[in-house]
Amino acid sequence: MSDFLETTLDKFTFKVAMDRFYSSEGVWVKEENGRARIGLSDFVQQRSGDVAFADVRPAGTTLAAGEDVANIETIKVNITYTSPVTGKIVEVNPAMSDAPEAINQDPYGTGWLAVMEVADWETERVRLLNPQAYFEIMKGQTEEETKKS
Amino acid sequence: MMEKNQKVIIVPCSGIGKPYGTVSREAAYEVTDEMRHAQTQLVSLALLVLGDEESRAVVAGYPAITIDGCKLACAAKMVQQSGGTVAQEIAVLDVYRRHKDLKPLGIAELNEGGKKLARVLAEEVTSMVDGIITGKKAGENA
Repeated sequence: MSDFLETTLDKFTFKVAMDRFYSSEGVWVKEENGRARIGLSDFVQQRSGDVAFADVRPAGTTLAAGEDVANIETIKVNITYTSPVTGKIVEVNPAMSDAPEAINQDPYGTGWLAVMEVADWETERVRLLNPQAYFEIMKGQTEEETKKS
Repeated sequence: MMEKNQKVIIVPCSGIGKPYGTVSREAAYEVTDEMRHAQTQLVSLALLVLGDEESRAVVAGYPAITIDGCKLACAAKMVQQSGGTVAQEIAVLDVYRRHKDLKPLGIAELNEGGKKLARVLAEEVTSMVDGIITGKKAGENA
């Protein structure tokens, strides 16, 4: 069984990793021993373009779900993403300051943004999308993009 | 000492409507029109894509420096597909990452940051040209 859900549009293939949850804006969340590792989906990184800079809120910052967690500047746009969970940032990916292109190269791996400590993962998980649900939203967004172009 | 190469080909990104593509071309113009006019020749990426025989012959005959506006690296790929040799490649984004204060904006006309970024990029390309001509890498002592 594939580890990804995939859809192809023209020459682009967008992958949704099956082993994590998502917010509707395309921020993924992976539970790791009660903590939440977060990053951007493959669709988000491809749509946004090459990342020039990634400013992630520093370790020690406490955020409610929906508060700004990272500002990503690409060759096309500046986008601020919000935290998909409530918790405290305990680690920021050092690659975000040295080599933010990791977001483009490996969005579900080395391109992660931060690790957050969450009080209750089960509570947080309820408001997140499972991979299939995000995949459907993403497909809708790709179709919207196609109509625009 | 004899010069190792007499001429270097400069191939910038052809991305129209994107600030980073414009920066790559502005930098290429600065190098080929002003900074190293005698040692360089600009080749249009669009002509290579179209298979223009004259452009392909020029690219096949001399080492090239490609200036790409994004990770697709069309300039580098097209030079290789045209039978040329990419002696060095540079990406606008990498230069911008080293000069965050020079954010390029605008397309037909770059903002001040974009113009300065093009100048910085041109200086880096010029160092590459000198290195290729003399057979030394940029920054290498005599």
